[in-house]
Amino acid sequence: MLKFWKQFGLTIVLSATACFAADKEHGTVIGPVTLYVAPDATAQQLGRLTRGRDIYLMDHTMVDGKPWSHLLAVVEVDAERGTSREISGWVNANVVITISTPNGDQIIYGEAVDSESQAEMRGGRKHAAEDAMRLYYRLYEYFPTSPLAGEALWRAADIRWQMEKSDVMTRPSSREMDPDLRNAMDDQTIKLVIKKFPHTKWADLASYDLIDNKLCGAWKGEAHCPEKESDLYEKYVREHPTSPKAAEALYNALFREAALVEIYKTTHEQDKSEHARKKAIDLAQELAAKYPEGDWKPRAMELTFALQQNIPIYGQGGASSTK
Amino acid sequence: MVKQWKQFGTLALVVLASALSFAADKEHATVLREATLQVAPGPVSEKLAEVERGSDLVVLEQSNADAQPWIKALVTLVQGDKVQGEKTQGDNARQVTGWLPARSVVTASTPNGDLIIFGQAADSEQRAEERGGRKGAAQDAMRLYARVTELFPGSPLAAEAMWRSADIRWQLEKNDSAHIATQDLGPGERKMIDEKSMQEIIKKFPNSKWADLAAYDLIDNKICGSWRALAECPLKESAAYEQYAHEHPQSPKAAEALFNAAWRQAALVDIYRIDGDKNKSETARKKGLALGQELVNQNPPGDWKPRAADLVYKLEKKIPVYGAAE
Repeated sequence: MLKFWKQFGLTIVLSATACFAADKEHGTVIGPVTLYVAPDATAQQLGRLTRGRDIYLMDHTMVDGKPWSHLLAVVEVDAERGTSREISGWVNANVVITISTPNGDQIIYGEAVDSESQAEMRGGRKHAAEDAMRLYYRLYEYFPTSPLAGEALWRAADIRWQMEKSDVMTRPSSREMDPDLRNAMDDQTIKLVIKKFPHTKWADLASYDLIDNKLCGAWKGEAHCPEKESDLYEKYVREHPTSPKAAEALYNALFREAALVEIYKTTHEQDKSEHARKKAIDLAQELAAKYPEGDWKPRAMELTFALQQNIPIYGQGGASSTK
Repeated sequence: MVKQWKQFGTLALVVLASALSFAADKEHATVLREATLQVAPGPVSEKLAEVERGSDLVVLEQSNADAQPWIKALVTLVQGDKVQGEKTQGDNARQVTGWLPARSVVTASTPNGDLIIFGQAADSEQRAEERGGRKGAAQDAMRLYARVTELFPGSPLAAEAMWRSADIRWQLEKNDSAHIATQDLGPGERKMIDEKSMQEIIKKFPNSKWADLAAYDLIDNKICGSWRALAECPLKESAAYEQYAHEHPQSPKAAEALFNAAWRQAALVDIYRIDGDKNKSETARKKGLALGQELVNQNPPGDWKPRAADLVYKLEKKIPVYGAAE
């Protein structure tokens, strides 16, 4: 009998927990907001939530005509170490967007774009890029069927990628020829885009970012790197011909072939130099024919002219960068 | 005597006509890469000046030296170009004649010359935007784009090139320290951005995308450097952006202008509220909502619809957008 009551009690507790969890609404906040112990702006403050934080809405109430939300929120404890913890408290409900907010996806996306724009502005808001990254990710997470979900996940992944790239490229190891000698960018979120939205524009863009991890930090006048990079970019074009990055990839491949013309000349390999020249001109013609819109066609034509006129585009008199 | 004067007049006309004919015959050109202007063709001649990408050249003569083609050209050097190791001073351009290798010279008769110059201009523009990009790359791009329009006025790229050149000049002047230093002063005391190039685009390519973009840049001269939490500036700016959006509905900047107008109204809600002017605050809120909703209803491509939806939500929920965040 005792066993029965124990089992009954456990069932009741589990059912109540499950019911409570189901009632909670996932969401985020679109502005910085203070977390209070009680729904009162004079109550003790528990912490501050920044844009895009993951929240669970547990309750809501009105106090003095103002809406308040009781949340369980994930907050950063140590930004450097990336540690976080969950705390619960009350916030001004106006900045809370949940899965049941009408046009919630549009609102989160709009706030993310605004944060991204702030991050790009001189003197823009501090940590605006991180805000944008979190907001875009929340949209994908909580509005997976929104027409904006694919783009939002791609943007979140790309912001993370670009921030990490910027960090990696400031280290001395970034100037090593071998890309394996520097820290690689974490490709987890980028690969998630490819997995969740295969054969889309966003998957194409994610695949293009992945090339970064395979590029040499410097060519040092040797043929090995531009040879390998030209192949990488050409392979990308063949595999993603409709990508918004296809023309750029083709240009990058032909630029590397044009650079090889000069590199082989310095090693007195005339045959290879001539072969690279022909390959570059072929790629330029392909670019002009397949991707006539935008700046890549004129840029390819200019590179062809430089090759025809024997104007060096790499090394002395030419570009010194690898891009 | 009369006959003598008649003969003199005829002679003068012949001289004038031949001079004009000479000027008309001369082919204009530009260089795609930096080049050294020399006294004579060949690698050992004395150097006269460094010619920057996109400089204006007049081809006078062609020759071969060391099995390479050379061009004798009249080069217009502007402020900043190096002449015999020294930089030219002042705003006055000066002209120098000399020889330079023909391989990087593009003339009006070069096949696909418009595409080639435009391509180098786009490349220079990208270099200017890169961290650690080539010094002076923005100015190179500005000159090269200008040459596309001058050398190939019938090119399908002519209008866009003219716009890009004018816009680079505009952005350089806008970010110039002399302009920034006076930005907070009154309209009469501020250093205004020179509108000449933008007005030329509007005149030369009226009712085009490029004229719309030029008109949008012109708004910069009406924007305050700082609002100082006063209503006057956002009020004036909102009106300028709204006027633009309604006068240029097909412009690629129409949605951005409407958003800017709505956002300024949203800021006015907070400014008037802080001043204790509830009526004006509510009027601004309604106006901001109307402009934001107008943008949402237009369903423009890109990011402006979600940004407007976010702004409308904030106005509906009375979330401050200007000043204190909470």
